[in-house]
Amino acid sequence: MNSRRPDDAPILQIEDLSVSFSTATGQVKAAENVCFKLYKGETLALVGETGCGKSVVASSIMQLLPNNAHIQGRAIYAGRDLLSLSEKEMSRIRGSEIAIVFQNPSLALNPIMRVSEQIAEMLQVRKGYPAAQSLELAGEMLHRLGLQGDDKMRMYPFQFSGGMNQRVMIAASMILSPRIIIADEPSKGLDGALAAEVMAEMARIKNQVGASLLLITHDLNLARNISDRMAVMYCGEIMEIGESEEIFSLPRHPYTAALLRCLPERGFQPIPGPSPSMIKPPAGCKFHPRCPNISEVCRRKPKMTRVEGRGTAPAGSESEIREVKCWRY
Amino acid sequence: MLAILKAVDVGRVYESGLIFKKRYAALEGISLEMEAGKTVGLMGPSGSGKTTLGKILAGLERPTSGRIFFAGKEIGSMSGRETAIFRRAVQMVFQDPEGSLNPRKSIGQSISEVLSMLKIPGRRWQEMTGEMLEKVGLSDELLCRYPGQISGGQCQRVALGRVLLLQPQAIILDEPTSALDISVQAQILNLLKDLQRDLGLAYLLISHQPEVIRFMAHDTIILVQSRTS
Repeated sequence: MNSRRPDDAPILQIEDLSVSFSTATGQVKAAENVCFKLYKGETLALVGETGCGKSVVASSIMQLLPNNAHIQGRAIYAGRDLLSLSEKEMSRIRGSEIAIVFQNPSLALNPIMRVSEQIAEMLQVRKGYPAAQSLELAGEMLHRLGLQGDDKMRMYPFQFSGGMNQRVMIAASMILSPRIIIADEPSKGLDGALAAEVMAEMARIKNQVGASLLLITHDLNLARNISDRMAVMYCGEIMEIGESEEIFSLPRHPYTAALLRCLPERGFQPIPGPSPSMIKPPAGCKFHPRCPNISEVCRRKPKMTRVEGRGTAPAGSESEIREVKCWRY
Repeated sequence: MLAILKAVDVGRVYESGLIFKKRYAALEGISLEMEAGKTVGLMGPSGSGKTTLGKILAGLERPTSGRIFFAGKEIGSMSGRETAIFRRAVQMVFQDPEGSLNPRKSIGQSISEVLSMLKIPGRRWQEMTGEMLEKVGLSDELLCRYPGQISGGQCQRVALGRVLLLQPQAIILDEPTSALDISVQAQILNLLKDLQRDLGLAYLLISHQPEVIRFMAHDTIILVQSRTS
């Protein structure tokens, strides 16, 4: 899985990203001081519960947020800050260098265009390929994702199930061989076995083209299966980041531990207390009202702290290091 | 013990086409019994007819063969009064929690709707709403909000709460947690277990997750892919 060398520079670096939205009921703090690095060829999973701000992070990298969003921080890609690029510059990057797979495929596809044409269109517009050739390539891509046959090529999105449309979206995002793929809940709407299959195929194509994948999901097992590293988000903040296997076997942050205990194989133990408000988040550590190891100091904001990992990564590489936002470390 | 709901050799065939009819058997020869305080788990791949069976048991769809018995009586041959009792006693909770609530009605309105349908005097509404919210673990802050403004887990609790107001004996749960996060799934499943223990409910739990079925069900039925002929 991990082909990254310790001296590799990150392909995408998110620094202190904060996003808030002005709404009638107040300022919604959707992301706060989010920092992470995405390396070449790796898969980084951004996991957390619905509404914790994962998708907001993805959309802000692509400059796809609505006008009422206030964005601070930087997203460095190829030496440039994506957040300060003009729309014209950004549109050149979208799709061909950084592609995004959205979570609602039925809404993201054009309802009156055949699926194969929607994929081929990418090649015609961006690369100037002739129609016949791009259709052929589109067909190949669909075939690899398990949608073979001429009849499938000629279908419209409404004739496909949600899962099939999701695969069309994935094909469209990968056809231009982007350097970074952002997948926002790509397994949503696919049932168990199919989700695993589609994700495995996605990981395989990603490795073939040497792209990096930022996987946004609430499915912890999916994240574990295909990601190298994992960042756990809660209420707009990254609470813990490190190697996926290590986080699973030894969660350091109390929230990560609580989240993992909700898993079926760990007995469906719910996290006590309600989810926090994003408008008036708890002061200090945002998890402290629900945390089993609360102490006085938790009312103040903890910093991201590096803890020694015991990972499988080569010594000295950055992934060996686990970062946790908790006063216990 | 007498089963609350019983299906005997139930089948459902869909037909399409005018002259050259294509027959599609969504279900064939299914028999099951739902007892008070017990959960029957129903598994199978997509398209194997799980939801169809759920709807047939809830009386929302008619089987093309076989019979359904509620408290020992066949549901097709019940009197109007008996049918009314059956409709109330057997409830269904759907997969998509937001879709099962009217988006243009506040949560409070959606709940009052059920109370007014039950002809409960207005002075008791507040008290009953409060009790119900407590049962499903929601705060009354939610009452003035709309389904789009609350989370999926909260919607599912509201849907469940509305069903509980009818004091059902059996609930068909059609993938009640598949649209929810694992943390919320854990909460809802534990809530369902507590309610079953306290109220003696019979559940038919439809799910494609073996872990969920193992956690909840006393008996399990696995459907296989249906055939076209």
